[in-house]
This record gives sequence, C-alpha cells and structure tokens, in this order.
Amino acid sequence: MAHSKLGFNEKRQTFWGWILISPLCLGLTLWVAFPMGLSFFTSLTKWDMLSKAQFVGFKNYISIFTEDELFLKSIRNTLYFTFLSVPLQMITALAGALLLNSQVKGKRVFRTIFYLPSLIPLVVSSVMWLWLFNNQYGLINYFLHSFGINRIQWIDSKEMVIPSLTIMNVWNIGNVIIIFLAGLQGIPNDLMEAVDIDGGTYWHKFRYVMLPLLSPIILYNMIVNMIKCLQLFVEPYIMTNGGPVNSSLSFVLHIYNNAFKYGKMGTANAMAWVLFILTMGISLLIFKTSTLWTYYEGDK
Amino acid sequence: MKSKFFVFICIFVLISSGFCFANGQKETSADQVTLKYIYWGSPAEDAAVKQALSDFEAANPTIKVEPMYLPGDLDGSTYNAKMKALAVSNTLPDVGYFRPEEFGNYAENDYFLKLDDLMARDGMGESYLSQTWLKIKGNTYGAYTAAECQVMWYNKKVLEEAGIPIPPTDYKNAWTWDEFVSVLKKITVDSKGKHPGDATFNAKDIVRYGVSYDLWSAMYYPSVWSNGGDIIGADGKTVYIDKPETIEAFQNLADLMNVHHVMPRMSGGTNISPLTMLANNQLGFYVTGQWTLLDLGGMKDFDYGVAALPIMKKPAQIYVSGVNVVFKATKHPEEAWALQKWMMDPSKTLDLYTSGLWMPTKKSYYTDEKDLAKWLNNDVHPQGFKEAVVDSMAVAINEPIKIRNINQIWGDYLNAAVESIWIGEKTAQVALTEVAEKVRKSGLLQGSY
Amino acid sequence: MMRSRKTSLTIIIYLLLSTGAISCLIPLVWLLRSSLMSTEDMFKLPLIIFPRNLRFQNYVEVFTMVPFAKFYLNTVIVVIANIVGALISNLMIAYGLTRIEFKGRKLMFSLSIGTLMLPAYVQLIPLFLEWNWFGQINTFLPLIVPAFFGNAFFIFMLCQFLRTIPRDFDEAAFMDGANYPLIIAKIIFPLAKPAMAVVAIFQFMFTWNDFMTPLLFLNDMEKYTLAIGIRTFISTYYTPWGVLMAAATLTILPLIVLFFSAQKYFISGLTLGGIKG
Repeated sequence: MAHSKLGFNEKRQTFWGWILISPLCLGLTLWVAFPMGLSFFTSLTKWDMLSKAQFVGFKNYISIFTEDELFLKSIRNTLYFTFLSVPLQMITALAGALLLNSQVKGKRVFRTIFYLPSLIPLVVSSVMWLWLFNNQYGLINYFLHSFGINRIQWIDSKEMVIPSLTIMNVWNIGNVIIIFLAGLQGIPNDLMEAVDIDGGTYWHKFRYVMLPLLSPIILYNMIVNMIKCLQLFVEPYIMTNGGPVNSSLSFVLHIYNNAFKYGKMGTANAMAWVLFILTMGISLLIFKTSTLWTYYEGDK
Repeated sequence: MKSKFFVFICIFVLISSGFCFANGQKETSADQVTLKYIYWGSPAEDAAVKQALSDFEAANPTIKVEPMYLPGDLDGSTYNAKMKALAVSNTLPDVGYFRPEEFGNYAENDYFLKLDDLMARDGMGESYLSQTWLKIKGNTYGAYTAAECQVMWYNKKVLEEAGIPIPPTDYKNAWTWDEFVSVLKKITVDSKGKHPGDATFNAKDIVRYGVSYDLWSAMYYPSVWSNGGDIIGADGKTVYIDKPETIEAFQNLADLMNVHHVMPRMSGGTNISPLTMLANNQLGFYVTGQWTLLDLGGMKDFDYGVAALPIMKKPAQIYVSGVNVVFKATKHPEEAWALQKWMMDPSKTLDLYTSGLWMPTKKSYYTDEKDLAKWLNNDVHPQGFKEAVVDSMAVAINEPIKIRNINQIWGDYLNAAVESIWIGEKTAQVALTEVAEKVRKSGLLQGSY
Repeated sequence: MMRSRKTSLTIIIYLLLSTGAISCLIPLVWLLRSSLMSTEDMFKLPLIIFPRNLRFQNYVEVFTMVPFAKFYLNTVIVVIANIVGALISNLMIAYGLTRIEFKGRKLMFSLSIGTLMLPAYVQLIPLFLEWNWFGQINTFLPLIVPAFFGNAFFIFMLCQFLRTIPRDFDEAAFMDGANYPLIIAKIIFPLAKPAMAVVAIFQFMFTWNDFMTPLLFLNDMEKYTLAIGIRTFISTYYTPWGVLMAAATLTILPLIVLFFSAQKYFISGLTLGGIKG
C-alpha cells in the first residue's frame, strides 16, 4: 500500500487527516446534523408551526404511501424526468466537451456561448421557456407552423410536459460541459500521442485513453445530475404549477406545497426523508456498479 | 507565503464587513416607537406603500416605521415561508399585510390583535364596507386591504371590426350566457376569415379569439355562483362540487375552449398572454381580476372598455383581497392600530386606487360623489366602470378563506379535476362527481374557522 | 487526401458547434431584445426581432424602481466571501479525504455526499432557527459562513479530480521534507487549477443567483441581493416584463465577463502530461 511510501506514520496521518477535514465535520454538525435531526423529528409529528406539535410516530410515513395519491404520482413524474434527462444530458455534454476541446478557432467564444444558459437565473429562464413553449405565441411553434408542421402542445399536454422540461434541462448543460472540459485538460498528451504512434484512430483514443481517464468525472456528473434531477422544483413551480392534471408535479414541489401551502410540516418532512432514502439508494447502486468501469490514476 | 497572508486578510475583511451589517435592532431613543410593517406587491405598490408610511411618520413624529418588503411572490408561498420562520422565532412584525388563506389558521392560534374594542372606540365599523372586516368566531381580527373583484375587459377595436355593439355595463342586465357565446363566435376567426360554426372553420388556425378567462380558483367562483352552484358550503363541511348547477357552470366554461373554440387554452403559471393578446387585437374579451387595470392603464394607445359579466342564472361577484392585521405580539398596540387605520384610509394611498390596482373599502368612497370622483374619474377607469364593477360589489361574496384546509382541497384535488375538464380529458360531470367523492372521503372537511 | 479529410472533419465540427450555439443563443437574444422593448411590443406577433422603438428607459427604470445598485454591491460582497471560503475549505477537505489514509475517512466522505440528497427546502426553517439563536438574522453571516465549511458538491468533484492526479508528486515532496499544507498549496493547488477554476465559477454562480437564503435571512431591502432584486419585478398582479429582462441582462453581464476571462484555466498548457513526461 501507498502510505509507507508517503513517509508519515499512521498517527501523524490520522492527525493531519482530521485537521484537514475539520471544516467538513464542523459544517456537518452545524448546518446539516441539526437541521436534519430537527427535520426527522418533525417528520414524526403533526405540526403546522403555529400550534403545538403532536407526536404521531410513523403515521406520516404510512399515510403518504396509503392515502396520498399525489405522493406516488410525484415520484413517478420525478423518476420519469430523471431517467429521461440524465442519459441525454451526459451524452450531449460529453459530445459538446469533445467538440469544444478540438482544434477549432474561436473555442473561447463557443465555450462561453454554450455556458450562457447556465448563467441565467432559473427564474428568468423559466419565464423565457414559458414563452418559447407557448401554444399560440411560442417561438418553437411559430417555427413549426411556418414549416407547415402542426403546433405541438408543449407544457399544456400531459404527455409532453415532462419531455418539455427535459429539453429545457438539456439546454442548460453548460455546467456539465465545463466539468468534462476540465477533465479533458487533465489527459496527458503523451498518451494521446502514443495512440497515434501505434496507428490508432480518434475512436481508439476515445475508447482506450479518454473514457477511462474521464471515468471518475463521468461518475461525478452522473450522480450529481441525478440528484439535481430528483430535486426538480423551480421549473414546475413557475411554469406549470404541477399541471396539467398533476403530470408535472415533481417530488420536491409536492413537498413544498405540503410544507408552505397546506401547513403540513410533519408530512412534508416525512416525504423529504423518503426522497433522501430514494436518492441514496439510487446513488449507492450507481457507485457500486461504478467500480466495474471507473479508473483512478491517483489511487495506486 | 505572501499569497496565504493576502488570503487571510481577505477573509478577515470580509468577516468583519459581515459583522458591520449585523444590526438586527436599530437604535431608538426612549420615547421613540418603532413599528415593522410587512407587505408585498409590485414595485409600483412598493413605492406607494413606502410613501404612505413616510407620510405617517411625518404626521406622527414619535413613531418610526421600518418597511419589510417581500417581493416576487407568485402564489403567497414565499410570504408563508417567511411568516412561519418569523413566527417560530418570535420575531414577527407589528402590522401589515397577511395572506388571506392563512388568516384563519393564525387567527385561531391567537397571533392577531382583537380589533373590536379599538374599532368601536374609533367608530370604524360603520364607515367601512361590511365585507371588509374579517371575523373569526365573532371577533374581528383583520381587515381586507382593498375591495377587489372580477371584471371583463374588452378591446373596442376588435368589437367594432366584428360588428358587435357596445356590451351592456349594467351588472344586473348583462348578456345571458347564450347571447355571450354567440357574440364570441362572431369575434373568433381563423386565418381564412371563417367563424366557429362555418363549414371550413379550422380550429387549429385561429388568429383571433373571443374571450379568455383567468383560470384559477378565485376566478371560478363568480361563474359558479352565477349559475346557482357552489364549491364548498360556508360551514366547511358540505360539498357542492357535484351539484348540477356547479357542473353546468364548469362545462360552460370548458365548452368555450373545446366545443365553440372561442377561448384559447392557456399555460399555467404566469399568465402573460391574455392581456397582451387583448392589446394585440387577438382577443375580444378578457375576464380577470380588476387589479389588472394597473397594467391596462399603463398601455398607451390601447382603447379598452369594461363590460358587465355575463349572467348564467343570476348576477354574481367575488370579493378578494389581501388582509391587513395587527400582530398580537406587538409591543405598541396603539401605535400599530394608528398605522393600520392610516393605511386603510384611501386618501393616504390614493395612487393605488387611481391607478386601478385597488378599490376602496371605505363606504364614503362609494356613496359620496366627491370621494367617488377622487379615484374613479380618470383616464384609467373606463366608462361604465361604476355600473359594471363598483355597483356589482353589492352582490359580492367573500372568497371562502375561512373554510379549513381549503388550500389543500384546491391544491390536491380540485385543481387537477378542473384541469382535466379544460383539456377535454373528462366532462365536467365525470370529473366533478369523482372529485366530490374524493373530497368527502379525504378527511379534509373539518368545518370552518 | 489527408487534407480534404481534415477539412471536412473541421466543417462538421463547426456545423455541430454552430447548431448548439444557435440554440443556446436564441433565448439570450430574446432576452436582450426584450430588455429594450416595452411590454406590449414584447409579445406582439409577427415577432419583432429588431425592435424599432428601443426603450433604453427600461435600464434606467431598473435602478429607479428598486435600489439595484445596492443589490449589486451586496451581491458582490457575499459572492467574493463565498468564493474565498469555497476555494480554501473544499480543497483542504478533498485532499484529506483522498490522499490521507485514516480511519473514518470513508464514513465522512459518504456523510458529505449524503448531504446533497436532502432537499434544501425542509432544512431552511431549522437553519433559520439556528441563526436566530446566534442572533444573526438580517445580517450577511448566514449567507457567508457556511461556504467556509465545505460544500459536498465541490468536495465530491475535487475528490474525483484529485484521484486522477498520480501520487508521485506527493511522494517526491515528502522525500524533500514537506508537510501537508505545503503540499496542498504548492503542488496540488496548481495541478488542480482547472478544477479550482470550476469551483470558483460555480460558487460565483450559485451565490449570485441564490434567492431563498437571502430572502429568508434578510429583512431590510437595502441588504437584498440581486437574485431577490430580480424577483421584485415579478408579481401576480403586474410584471413590467421589459424592465425585468433589463434587470436579468444586468445580472448576467458580470457572469459572462468573468467566465470569458477565466477560460484560460481550461485551456491546455497546464496538463499533467507535460510534467509527467
């Protein structure tokens, strides 16, 4: 193993290890443990924050599965959105990063343009897309109409609303592209040259050098984006209010409604913990399977 | 090492500047009273409120008012979140706006000052519209900020082009529903000039619509009431959603979209289109809240008019508004009440009334000619506004905010059911009967405050 | 033969890039164009792409309707503080978690990632209570201090990044008698510059556009940040769309400038390969 090589004995390493991550520990205690603890405790009560909280044990957890139809619907909607968006985003972002990493003039300009969507406050871009998707006046339907294609009901139809939100999400992948770009910069030139010398094509470079070296970053983007997608909120909140007929009711939107519109803090917190467990489950799955395909140069 | 040092200096400066902004409590002298006033609204409203607050300070030198402005609140949930945080940490403001749908809950939990004695002492009860005061179990805890209701605007040019005569403005003698629909059909045209009902009419290619209704809970009530129906009874326990009259009302509205094709299907969320469509000659009529007058008044070169709401069976109107309260936790109830009275006086915030955003709650502004002229006689309020809108307040019923869980009944059940009618997925009969049963079984019908 | 193949490849790349660029640009062009129009003109059909009556008044109104300049200043202060905190704390933590073998590091790593998974909205009220207990409501501290304690988003990213850097450098430095802080500052930080640039940019963006935290913790309008400032223009009753778009443009401008100039950290020249060879 590597530690003996690093020259410090175990005790010193433990000391330094904890010192370096001390902000994390403090942070976890202050900003995470306390709110999470309070959140869990609240989930065991019935509380509207005005009157006294009533302890109800796990009743909230049971009732959201048995009595609340919208709860299961919101999970379905969110999962649909996540499994539609994440693969699309990954592929598009990787392709974009590869394109932007190639030897073209005006790279800097292109990169900035691709990143621009992420800079717009979500509130403003939601409003913008509302206009783009509008049935009568939307730019998209305007173009379709001028080509003689029938207008599509984007966010007004139960079937198209989640795909519409996915389109919005893919438009917003500037963040993911940047991270891939940073990763691509870390790929040593001599490895790429080695493939050339051996007579390989771009595809070989991609398959045998870039992909493996990028795999930790791909894992990161996948997990982080999946978590972000599971927490979809602002777009349905501003654009559709969960409609039509609750087909864009996302998990977090439902939690939000319960917490701040209906005053059911206990139920909202219970739902938040279910989301937490769900997210953790999916992440663990991805992490476990990742050992099969990720490669860490610095882990020898 | 140099860069590390630089970094530490940066951190130090920033943290200390953070502390500099830490002035939770302002310094006050012994006699001076400080009141915190919470409110929301557009920037125009913010300006008007701030002006009124500083006028109050000028008239009361020992009182200082700190405005707490909550911007950008689409549906009240931001306000509710902030209010809950303030309530839980015991840092509530003294007086100000409050969300109507949370009013009952907070009143019952004793967060507001009881106003009856103060009202009796200052003779307020008589001089304001009866619907203004909000009572829970016989005690008055708040007052509506303004009188707001539903109206129907129209585009004069569009009507002229379609050959429609000037619509009636007397709310008691408005068009019947059938008359209304036939007018709408004359206005609606597709790109080839065909009307609904014509043989070659293309419903997918409409360039001008007859009407648009704002589709959210408060806006349904007048139509439902006009047809003799209701949603939930005032007792908070009886469900009228599946009453035949209610079903008919919703079906009538849905038919405008799906059968007669005189109304466009609107996206949810921020409704930017109808007003713009109206101004762009793409819409004939627009049924919305009367506060949109603020917007309309600002549009140059647009000739709009107001018409009486069409009558299904009888004239109906809704009374909606934000609420003004004094918080019980205030340390200065007399001063807070004085501020409340000030803000309730239309003459102090006249801009908000002349611009069309609000209608007054003080009786004299309806009955006294001079007071009426103060806010009504200007370019913003179109002709006929008095007969169509102001007078209709005589039959206005308060938005049912006192029913327990009404928010959740709409949010989790009714909104989805109603939406399925709009998109033509279900008929009103099916959708409303189904949801009525669900509501009855939901356990949410717990009476009223 | 080789040349024409290379040129056709380049053309294809340009084509793809341009298509993507156009789809990214269209909404932004709309934003800019709308910021110079009156509300009525904005939604008129047929679409007005180049407005004839430019309404520069919108930009003036942004500053007169609300104290926008103050919002700018407040936001800049909060953002810089956050970036400093993020750069320092996250690198430290990521290094500790990946390069040092000590008991409990796997647990801390998992705990840290776990924090990403809880929806932020339910944590807001408890956080508010906590800060209220510290007496710091209506100050900037709740907006700044958490950044100095690490952010799982960045910790995770930096961990992944650091694991791609071979340990040879650390080993060499130890042989020369260095200790951990020195290694982090002199060796790791320069090598991880692309990732650190990403951290800085992302933190800038998060904080610049963060709406809920300032809204909950700040009471006075003079302390509000840009994110709230933009929201000020949106309300159910009346939204001056042109002015909103102008405000949005003003909000995005610094971000664009920053991003464009920070790009050199992504451009090759600092690749590990060069050093390794």
